[in-house]
Amino acid sequence: MRNVALTRLSHFIKFLTITYMTIEIKKESAALVVKVAGRLDAVTAPEYEKKVNELIADGEINFVVDFEQLEYKSSAGLRALLATAKRIKGKSGKILLANIKGGVKEVFDISGFGTIFPMHDSVASALSASV
Amino acid sequence: MIKIEHLSKRFGNLEVLKDVSVEIKTGEVISIIGPSGTGKSTFLRCINLLDHPSGGSIRIDGVDIMDPKSDVPKVRQKMNMVFQSFNLFFHLSVMDNLTLGPIKLLGMSQQDAERKSMDLLKLVGLAEKAESYPDELSGGQKQRVAIARCMAMDPKIILFDEPTSALDPTMVSEVLSVIRRLAKDGMTMAIVTHEMDFARDVSNRVFYMDEGVIYEEGTPEQIFDNPQKEKTKTFINRIRSFCYHITSPDYDLYAMNAEIEMFCEKQILAVKTRQNLLLLVEEMLQIFNPFLSSLLLDIVLAYSEKKEILEVVFEYTGESVNLLDKNLLADELGLTIIQGVTESIDYRHMGNKNRLTMILKSA
Repeated sequence: MRNVALTRLSHFIKFLTITYMTIEIKKESAALVVKVAGRLDAVTAPEYEKKVNELIADGEINFVVDFEQLEYKSSAGLRALLATAKRIKGKSGKILLANIKGGVKEVFDISGFGTIFPMHDSVASALSASV
Repeated sequence: MIKIEHLSKRFGNLEVLKDVSVEIKTGEVISIIGPSGTGKSTFLRCINLLDHPSGGSIRIDGVDIMDPKSDVPKVRQKMNMVFQSFNLFFHLSVMDNLTLGPIKLLGMSQQDAERKSMDLLKLVGLAEKAESYPDELSGGQKQRVAIARCMAMDPKIILFDEPTSALDPTMVSEVLSVIRRLAKDGMTMAIVTHEMDFARDVSNRVFYMDEGVIYEEGTPEQIFDNPQKEKTKTFINRIRSFCYHITSPDYDLYAMNAEIEMFCEKQILAVKTRQNLLLLVEEMLQIFNPFLSSLLLDIVLAYSEKKEILEVVFEYTGESVNLLDKNLLADELGLTIIQGVTESIDYRHMGNKNRLTMILKSA
């Protein structure tokens, strides 16, 4: 009983303290690096799309999306990625993905998105390809 | 040998046994299995009249033992009982525990009773403990003495009420091997047990009890390999389940995820399995989302510990419609991911409910 109560308490604390998604932006000479951490799902995908759209509206057209710290991605995240990529390409820009691994890579592989987006092992490699 | 008809037992307003009818023949070994609190022990205690039944009849070799004129002590001599907590006389030596009944109730001489008791102690492997006291014995040894004491009364049937439940795991096998030996010798037995492998090996028939009735009965093969009824299947496959009800489009995805993760943690599922499960549920909810204002959705997770299979069922109200039908989907992205993380997908319409059953791919 005590173990069950402790597990529930730890889940509750985790539930209260969890950060679902964070986005960090870093300007490099070749592209804008968008670092997405946490979850890219039905709840957070609109926030990601809104942020990237704002950057496009500000005139940015070359992006490297860094998924190093992304833990989870669903089709909602893939749709948001596709929607922003279409806008970027419409402005003759470029979007490259970096550090896709684990469960996130599996979702890319299952959905076939792995063949749509150029993927790089590191941000540095993606930035070199952006030039 | 024993014919039980419409047996019932109430404790106040609580109906523990409801209309149990069953026959046990000479030489049969019956295992009685089922979840805790479903009437198994009460059933045994009623057969032995340790608990007086509220209704029905129990006939032993044609004699109705519930008839007020019946000689209950004599009836009890025909069927002895082994209890979970041994119930030995702690102030008497092992030998005296065994000889007391035969001398006092059967009128046996001290010498004959001791000779017979020694034979029985040899049978259960405890001849050298004849002069020991119960406190000097391990749990397994105490239970073997209890079985020998039971045999000393020459019963026609032995009723075992969870004979290994109070024992350390290391002592279970010594007791089970004694019971196996009795079965081999043709002793009629009814055994309430949670030892499924033992029940399967030793029994001629298995009763699965649930909600105060013998819910399903059959040979060990029928009950353990091919149970027909839902509750039996759930029990045999040791399925642990979890249900989440969604009644509006404004459900809280993260609150639900936290509960799913808690379920996965309890079942000690691999991290990848958890991720695939969360992905499957989210993708399904995305497909269900446009319809959630007009239907009720239950998500049931059922993990079979025995088969190591995680089944995910989406049951929703409304007319017959498979929401995974490609013609109804805006795009196939979600469906592709769902197919990628599942072994199988089955759609059925039953009554006024639609049911999509999926088996998650194992990690």
